[in-house]
Amino acid sequence: MDEAAFRHLYDRTARPLRAYLVRSCGDLALADDLLQEAYLRMLRSGFEGEDDNHRKNYLFRIATNLLRDHFRRKKPESAEVPELDGSPGHDEAIHLRSDVGSAMSELAPRDRQMLWLAYVEGASHQEIAKALGLRTASIRSMLFRARQRLAKALQSKGLRPELEVS
Amino acid sequence: MSTHPCPYEEAVARAARGGDWSPELEAHRDGCLTCAELTLVVAALAADAEELAGLDAPLPDPGALWLRARLATRERDFQRATRAIVWVQRATVAAVLAVGIAFAPGLWGLVSGLFSGLDLSFSTPDLPRAAGSPLLVMIVSILVLGGLALWELTITQEN
Repeated sequence: MDEAAFRHLYDRTARPLRAYLVRSCGDLALADDLLQEAYLRMLRSGFEGEDDNHRKNYLFRIATNLLRDHFRRKKPESAEVPELDGSPGHDEAIHLRSDVGSAMSELAPRDRQMLWLAYVEGASHQEIAKALGLRTASIRSMLFRARQRLAKALQSKGLRPELEVS
Repeated sequence: MSTHPCPYEEAVARAARGGDWSPELEAHRDGCLTCAELTLVVAALAADAEELAGLDAPLPDPGALWLRARLATRERDFQRATRAIVWVQRATVAAVLAVGIAFAPGLWGLVSGLFSGLDLSFSTPDLPRAAGSPLLVMIVSILVLGGLALWELTITQEN
């Protein structure tokens, strides 16, 4: 991949990837660090991919692995689910800006990632399973439960299915 | 109203993401709690994604990322290239040691035979006594060269 191709890929994928990382880890500074690391890993791996979609999926998979490593490292310090991150650089506005953000922060990181990949990125069950290191057969039921939890959290903030249905 | 997984989920998710609702699907969604919840979740996440994608904070510079990746690749290539040299150095040291150990008794006899025929009794009053001994010069040279080889090997491994 040459520099022009990389810039093209970056322009197309950086914002969605950062949105995924921000919503998964709740910290803009950390999300930017992970974003850079994801691109660096992709470039260092020499991965070419068949097309932009293939490269995008690969990037999201790297980003998901980075998130998993981050949460794993964080776990010994606190047994709780990393929600509203109190570390320096945390952009609280990202959570407060939308009810969706705060509803998402009530979920486990894996649920957030699964929901985002499925309903924002439109990833297939197979792609989600690959990214999260899970069995494809388990995704359907896990996604269903994660969705129920998010819907419940959204409803507790006053958002109802009837209000959203146009 | 159902609260269990619904066979229309995938179609509803696609429609909710793309906004392309058929009248049948819309009618189904209105009567199925699972699909209504799904629509809520998809719409909420889409709005959230749009909001996050429009964040004012600038993205990291792709040019800097590209340069960092190039540097890392060069570093890795350098490591790969020098790995072969390090292995050759190790193999050479091991071979020399092995030959040295195998032939030590014979070599010692050869060296002592060579030196027994030399006249080492000449006097060099201006030089220290030890400087006149070829055996000592040889031993010191081997020690110095051996030390340099080991030092070189260590430095290469550290890099």
